[in-house]
Amino acid sequence: MKVNIVEWHGFSTWHWNLATESHPENSGYVDELCGICRVAFDGTCPNCKYPGDDCPIVLGSGCTHNFHLHCILKWLEQDTSKGLCPMCRQTFTYKNLYPIMTEELVNLQTLIDGHRVMRERFQTDNEQEFEAFEDEDGEQMNG
Amino acid sequence: MSRVKRIAKELEECRQDTQSGVSLRLNNENDLTKLTGFFKGPPGTPYEGGVFSVDITIPNEYPFKPPVMKFATKIYHPNISSVTGAICLDILKDAWTPILTLKSTLISLQSLLQSPEPNDPQDAEVAKHYLANKAGFDDTAAYWTKIYASDGDKDGKSEFSDSALYGIDDAIVTQFENMGFPRDKTIEVLRRMSVKSFDGVRDKTALENQILEELLKECS
Repeated sequence: MKVNIVEWHGFSTWHWNLATESHPENSGYVDELCGICRVAFDGTCPNCKYPGDDCPIVLGSGCTHNFHLHCILKWLEQDTSKGLCPMCRQTFTYKNLYPIMTEELVNLQTLIDGHRVMRERFQTDNEQEFEAFEDEDGEQMNG
Repeated sequence: MSRVKRIAKELEECRQDTQSGVSLRLNNENDLTKLTGFFKGPPGTPYEGGVFSVDITIPNEYPFKPPVMKFATKIYHPNISSVTGAICLDILKDAWTPILTLKSTLISLQSLLQSPEPNDPQDAEVAKHYLANKAGFDDTAAYWTKIYASDGDKDGKSEFSDSALYGIDDAIVTQFENMGFPRDKTIEVLRRMSVKSFDGVRDKTALENQILEELLKECS
């Protein structure tokens, strides 16, 4: 029997590869929601129309929590976020998986750096205050 | 608008969940930013048997900013204002994170009822009562639950005693009422002086004289 193919349609599907070194058992596919907007990673954040490269995801490297890039950006823009992961409140850092540093990734890095500077400043301020307090105490003891 | 989609999702999830004992309702079908939450008072607490409603307002920046919540049901609790219903809870302020939801926040409120923090009070008077006399506090809280947070017999309201409402021992009020002072003025003065009972008062006569003095001023 001979079959002549007259016409054909190709299909393909895709999903984010969330396999990480710490979780190699996630053979790539994770049917998970972004904790911030509660939409699947393979979907988009609430402000995007097209999933995929237009609305990428970010993998946490300190913790293993993942978010839509646009969602975590909005969170880190808040001062109240203090640069922490919304899930576990560890300092949020990410794995850079993308070959090109897009403007959004630059923003993410800037926000993370900004929060780190604030944290360090806060820490030294506290230490100085503590030292000042100790000095005062010392003087009183001597006097 | 990112918050609209998320609120709609949260409402749907809450509707499907019958296990948590928490429910959410829109105040107005066309406005997703004003809601009312309901939950039951936790068992083994003076709030048991009550259903508490919470006014919820969703800010523009939700879920990046916390929802604004306050108790619509009057409640006697150290971390909740007995007058305005304002709530002192870290996740409603600087400990908020966007993974929290309206449902999880209401569950946190429920557990706040279970474990009050009298050392970080919203209502200082109530916290003082809690620390000084836990049993008396429990009675008043249970009383408030009965008259404000129970559905059903609303007409039973006329029975409630105004002295128990403020945790004041009724015997004291009666004592001054018998001297000819009006009941409402007596309760007002006792509240202002934070006198709840004569138990444990060292110099009862001196305190009685103080109350008398205040009452005479009040009624002159």
